[in-house]
Amino acid sequence: MTVEIVTDSLSDITPEFAKELGVTVVPLYVRFGEEVYRDRVEITTDEFYHKLVHGDIFPTTTQPSPGDFITVYKKLAKKTDEILVITVSGVLSGTYQSAMQAKSMVEDKCRIEVIDSRKVAMSLGLIVIEAAKAAKAGAGLDELADWVRKAIHRSHLVVYFDTLKYLAKGGRIGKAQGLLGAMLSIKPILTIKDGEMAPLTRVRSPAAGLDYLYNFVPGFSKVEALAVEHATTPDEADELVRRLSAIFPKERIYRSIVSPVLGTHAGPNALALTVLEAE
Amino acid sequence: MTRVTEMKQINSIGGQELREMFAAATGWLEKSSADIDALNVFPVPDGDTGTNMLLTMRSTIEEAYRAPDRSAAAVAQAMAKGALMGARGNSGVILSQILRGLAQNLAAKESFNAADLASALQESSVMAYKGISNPVEGTMLTVIKDVAKAVAAEVASNGRDLVSVMEAAVNAAGESVANTPNLLEVLREAGVVDAGGQGLHTILDGALRYLRGEMEQMRFRKPQIIITDLHATKLPQMIAADEVPYGYCTEFLLKGEKLDTDKIKKKLEKKGESLIVVGDDSAARIHIHTLEPGDIIAYASSLGTLHQVSIRNMDEQHQDYLEMQKAKGPAVDTAIVAVVAGEGLADVFTSLGVTAIVPGGQTMNPSTKDLLQAVEGVASDKVIILPNNKNIIATASQVQSLTEKKIEVVPTTTIPQGVAALLAFDYEADLEANISIMARAISAIKTVEICRAVRSAKLGDLQIRKKQPIGFLDGDLVAVGESALEVLNKMLSKLDLNKIEVITIYYGDDTKSEEAEQVASDIRNRYPQLQIEVVKGGQPHYNYIISIE
Repeated sequence: MTVEIVTDSLSDITPEFAKELGVTVVPLYVRFGEEVYRDRVEITTDEFYHKLVHGDIFPTTTQPSPGDFITVYKKLAKKTDEILVITVSGVLSGTYQSAMQAKSMVEDKCRIEVIDSRKVAMSLGLIVIEAAKAAKAGAGLDELADWVRKAIHRSHLVVYFDTLKYLAKGGRIGKAQGLLGAMLSIKPILTIKDGEMAPLTRVRSPAAGLDYLYNFVPGFSKVEALAVEHATTPDEADELVRRLSAIFPKERIYRSIVSPVLGTHAGPNALALTVLEAE
Repeated sequence: MTRVTEMKQINSIGGQELREMFAAATGWLEKSSADIDALNVFPVPDGDTGTNMLLTMRSTIEEAYRAPDRSAAAVAQAMAKGALMGARGNSGVILSQILRGLAQNLAAKESFNAADLASALQESSVMAYKGISNPVEGTMLTVIKDVAKAVAAEVASNGRDLVSVMEAAVNAAGESVANTPNLLEVLREAGVVDAGGQGLHTILDGALRYLRGEMEQMRFRKPQIIITDLHATKLPQMIAADEVPYGYCTEFLLKGEKLDTDKIKKKLEKKGESLIVVGDDSAARIHIHTLEPGDIIAYASSLGTLHQVSIRNMDEQHQDYLEMQKAKGPAVDTAIVAVVAGEGLADVFTSLGVTAIVPGGQTMNPSTKDLLQAVEGVASDKVIILPNNKNIIATASQVQSLTEKKIEVVPTTTIPQGVAALLAFDYEADLEANISIMARAISAIKTVEICRAVRSAKLGDLQIRKKQPIGFLDGDLVAVGESALEVLNKMLSKLDLNKIEVITIYYGDDTKSEEAEQVASDIRNRYPQLQIEVVKGGQPHYNYIISIE
């Protein structure tokens, strides 16, 4: 039987792509006042960013409940006896906790392995994509879990932020707190390190940010795949893909959009690049 | 597609629920007490506010379970007693006063409603201020005051649901905590919010979550620490230096008969700092920072019996705090020392993460000794120096031969180059890589400096009269004009603006902000595609230092 791969919506794998890959995506929740939406399922990225930028209610986010995972586990257990769950960083979200708790509550012959990726967005997504391909090719659960744990160290995220306001408001600023309060207008560039957001450097304009993201790639000698994501600026992201495709095969550059739950913390105009190093 | 969350409405709370609510709040506080410890800078940066509040709350809850019956009055009374008996530190004592106010107002009530809560919180606020010999705003006191006010307003306008009343309380507490650095200088300098206020916010937030029935979710989540967007202008070590000597933090519970807390307060007022005397005629909690703890103890023991006596050397506590701050600080092992003149520019460099500033610049070059002192004063073993002036580069280069530390000089010759180098610093790169990253950043920037000619001169094609504005491009005198704006425009017209995105104008100490804004708006009109920023640099000598990147 094929190992079933489960992740959460902070992997930034779109529902359509998940279907194609055969991956189950458990959505987190984004809430505007009394209205609660399942991430990317009940609210599109377009609707979300429109509300974020033009609405007057500031959204909040919530992890999936253990019950959400139990439903998924039970459904998948009907067609497989091995499930691999790869979640967003446990420092940023309680999703891993929910997945683990659900595991302890499902008494079944099905084996479930839950891994805290310590990553977010496509730095999680690219790992999931590769794992899903390997699962389809017949890899077993132990082999896959082992592969994922190693791949975590090869997945590198760089994010350009227009502002750290949203990250600070949502309490996810982590080690980047030192970048707050600058007396010049600056655009921070962060990474994810030890599961939490950490500073890389600062630039002064979106164009300089784009250059930084572009220049990040040649720093690696062997690259397996790249991913480029935008929040509200698709043209900038497309421009980055266009430049990158001159130095890297375009078919291995994945293109996605920052999910509403992540967008709550990243804010508009954020731009993310992931490099998955080759083994 | 939308799910509407079920709204739970609660109109009255009895004793048992009151206790469970605070028990939940205590559990919530426990999760962030260490984070709250790390915020602590006022009144003494000893880093134990979170722990103190937690211990106080634990004692509060233990006593609440001993309440004689299940009325709100009895439970509140027991909680107040538990808090007083177990109060630790300044924050614990204020917390106990808050609970005492609550208990006094709920006396004889089987249960309480929203209006009762509003008036009880008002009493809490009054009691909290009363307990402190010199109340300071920007602390827990301000937070409870703001909470009481917001709750009263919510009850007056919206009525009876205790959930929405508590929501108003938590929101007000959050805003009030975020505002504490604006009220209290020492918080502003440290770039933190008040620790006690944060603790109070967490307790209220925990209580609210209990009322909302979110006990399950609370198990997997952590309270939010409110973040100030002000950046620390002083390092923890510097704040500490402002407040010595400390002496001993002395606290105990005094039991006796017919105790007169006002009289005790008066008697002890001149014996030390941060005096708190609270309680009633049979038990009083006393807290003071004093150089002579023996005198305090001798006096108090003449009035009754002493319990839970604690005398701690605050210098030692303080050392622990510094260690804790060090451990918590960003994992940057490279320090950056910059030579800067002008208060505004110093703030800019500090806000961008420079570790130490050596005052100096054009016409005021610091000595090697000045630089060496700054280098030795920072905690890191690797130090990058930004001289920001061509006459200081040589001096900076001499520092290496005088210290064991590894020194690198990035040869910045202007303030904009210094800022560019500082911004480009890569937190994940090693020293060597950073030096080349910073050097590259310098080459991408152009600097315009405008000042007044000190004498008449003829330089190439330029005929300069004394006091006329003259402009330098990357150190070379290239333009002269009747006004600073004219000089700047002459210079801009010679540059290739297609590659330029951001212009930052730092105006000097003797330049008016209106004039600077005028210059900026003129450039904005002329080059609408550019991002123009105006900052008060406060530098001497140069009317304008302009960065073009």
